[in-house]
Formats: sequence, C-alpha cells, structure tokens
Amino acid sequence: MDYKNIPSVCSYCGCGCGVLFQVMDGRLTGTLPLKTHPVNEGRLCIKGWNLHEHATSDRRLTSSMIKKDGQLQGASLDEAVKTTAERLKGIIDQYGPDSVGVLASAKVTNEENYLIQKITRAVIGTNNVDHCARL
Amino acid sequence: MQEKVKEWLEQGRVDIFLGYKMVEGHPLPHSFTKDNIDEVKDLVTSSARYSLEKIATKIAAQKPDIKIGLIARDCNERALNVLHIWKQLNSDNIETINVNCCPSRIKEHADCSYLEPEKPGAYKKTVGIENNADVEDIEKFSQEELFKRWMYELQKCIKCYGCRDICPVCFCKECTMDSPELVATGGDLPPEVPIFHLVRAVHMGGRCIDCGLCEDACPVDIPLRMLYRKVNGIVADVFDYKTGVSADQSPFNILGEKVTLQPKPI
Ligand code: SF4
Ligand code: SF4
Ligand code: SF4
Ligand code: SF4
Repeated sequence: MDYKNIPSVCSYCGCGCGVLFQVMDGRLTGTLPLKTHPVNEGRLCIKGWNLHEHATSDRRLTSSMIKKDGQLQGASLDEAVKTTAERLKGIIDQYGPDSVGVLASAKVTNEENYLIQKITRAVIGTNNVDHCARL
Repeated sequence: MQEKVKEWLEQGRVDIFLGYKMVEGHPLPHSFTKDNIDEVKDLVTSSARYSLEKIATKIAAQKPDIKIGLIARDCNERALNVLHIWKQLNSDNIETINVNCCPSRIKEHADCSYLEPEKPGAYKKTVGIENNADVEDIEKFSQEELFKRWMYELQKCIKCYGCRDICPVCFCKECTMDSPELVATGGDLPPEVPIFHLVRAVHMGGRCIDCGLCEDACPVDIPLRMLYRKVNGIVADVFDYKTGVSADQSPFNILGEKVTLQPKPI
C-alpha cells in the first residue's frame, strides 16, 4: 500500500487555496485543505474539496475535438490546430480581429493563461480576452 | 518516537505508520513504511491537526487486513474508539503512539493548533453566537433571541460540505446530505439552512467526539461544535453514554449481538 499526500494549489479560482491531494497506489482519491497554507488556513469551498473528481472524471476530454457535421468528433492535435488557425484567419480577414473573443480557463496553469492572452493580443490582434475566474 | 516507529515497521508490527513530515515548511500528514524506512528520521508531530484516523479509515477500506500505526492525540483516540464501534476500523489492526494534545475543556496543557479561543468580533457578539461559549451560556438567551442568533450564524453557510468531509466520524458511504430521498431539500440539493445543519447535528448524536475539525474547516466560522455538544449532552443525559470515551457499544449501534438502545432509568 502506497499512500501519499501531494501539496498543490487549487486551480478553480484566483484565490489559490492550498490543497493536499490524497494519492493511493498511484490513484488520485481525495482532496484535503492544506491547514498551514496562508491563503485558506485549512478551509476550502466546495470546488476545492472536489478537485480530485474533476481530474478523475470520465467526462474529461482526452483528445482534441473538432465539430464536423454538427457534432464534436475526436481529432488529432495537428488537425485541430490547423483547422482552428484556418478558421480564425478566415474570420479575421473577413470581419477584422475584434470579431474574435477568447475565453481562457481556470483549469490550465497561469503560464498557459499568459500565453492565451498573448496569442489573443499579439497574434489575433484583439483585446477581447477574459477569464471565468477573474475575481 | 522515531526509534519506536522504526522498530514497529521493521518487526512488521505495523505495515504503515501515519505521522507528519515537514515539506517545504508545512507539516504534512505522511505515511511511513518499511520500504522508505530512512524517512522515519523525518517523522515529527505537528501543531496543524489532520485527521490521521480518517486517512487510516480510507486505507483500511481498500486493504482491510493492513496494520496501521498512527500518532494520536486525545481527539484521535476518541475518534478511533468511535470508528472501532462502528466497524470502520478493526482495533486489532491499529496501533497508536500518544502525543500531547490541544488545550480544551478536557485538557489544559497542550500544544496544537485550533482550540485556543479566538476573540469574537463586536458584530458577532451582538448578533451571533460565540464559538467558544458554553451551551449553558447561550441558553441564557430567550428562545426568540437564540433562534435569531442561530439563524444569523447558519445563513452564512456556503455549503462547502467541509464540516462533513473533514469529520473523522462521517464515514457513511451514502451521505444523507447528498441524497434527495433522505433529506427535505426545499427544492434542490444541497439542503436548506437550517435543515442541513440540524440533520447533521442529529447524526452526530453518539458519534461526534468534539475534535473541532469541522469548525476549524468552516470558512464562515459557524459554531458547529456547539450544536453537536448540545445533542451529545442529550445523549449523555438520556442514555448515560459518553461518546468516544471508550470503545464500548454505542446505544445507537444496532450492529452486533443485541439491541442496546435503552434509555437510562430516570
Ligand atoms: S475555488 Fe474555492 S477552494 Fe479553489 S481557490 Fe477558489 S475559493 Fe479556494
Ligand atoms: S467536532 Fe466536528 S469534525 Fe469533530 S467529530 Fe464532531 S462533528 Fe466531526
Ligand atoms: S452527515 Fe450524516 S449521513 Fe453524512 S456522512 Fe455524516 S453521519 Fe453520515
Ligand atoms: S463547513 Fe461551514 S460553510 Fe461549509 S457546509 Fe459546513 S457549516 Fe456550511
């Protein structure tokens, strides 16, 4: 039996509460509040308490998807990137960069969110970028 | 303590030992095993309290025969008693090393986190209920005033379910609080205020060992232990049963040889 607690930070919102992931035999089985974390001092909201369910959910996407014939279908990453780039380019050419808006995610890292705003401002050329957890 | 744990692991008296280890300045609950026996030199006690017995329950649910050792303060010991009674842990498979514990009504000298009274703010004093008051103190308020004060406290609840999730003796596979069939929800889950708190309070009768972890985990500072102290006061009066003090059969436990739900003679 291998039981570990892995300290981490909740990724659901901008508060950044400290959590401990409970890992049993290599499987993520629970989340505990990190008692000595200066942000949350051992408290969490319901999202934080259930972080492990998000990570282990069977509804979690495991591949890129492209909408074909009105339905989302699995696609390779290369194909997805290519399609997205072509469509974005087409829309920008036709309607201008401000016709595009980008919603970032609380479920990726800070650095990835930085890159998202960078690509929105510097590549697409619009300030239309926002985040679900912009507290 | 480290010597003892090393010996226990080497001799196979326990397969796993739950204690604490400092990781980047944080005392974290840590499992020590024979395979990482060198780590035992890092074993420490911690002023931050985690429910090691709840972790033990989780491990035992996966591996029923595993022998678990753990650092235990008074509250851990009381919780273990309840977990033994309710067959969540097998007392033959649990070994404890006792350490000093928190200052509380039961024990004055101690050295851990929470139970040093925090001073309530002026507003809470005027409209709410002081977390460190006694049940008798607050019962001096008139019924009407008391109801108003409780409702002020309870309506702050953000339904994080932290009080249940952290509680060492909340081990039900299907929790009432998650089951619309079992609790009047007033529409959707989660159940409304004050049903949520009152249902949980009833469940804590004969179970709550007054460790305070729930109150510690409550983001909005609701005096939860007071509710549970009240129900357990009733349990003590009616059944002459002091929860967690021993591993004797609980009056509410209908598993086992005989039904023991008997009020004490009045
Ligand atoms: S979602 Fe909740 S637990 Fe997570 S960081 Fe925000 S407040 Fe904390
Ligand atoms: S004090 Fe709270 S956490 Fe501790 S046993 Fe009672 S209900 Fe559970
Ligand atoms: S709140 Fe009640 S039903 Fe839910 S886990 Fe605790 S004791 Fe069980
Ligand atoms: S811990 Fe406090 S806020 Fe969270 S569900 Fe329990 S009473 Fe409500």
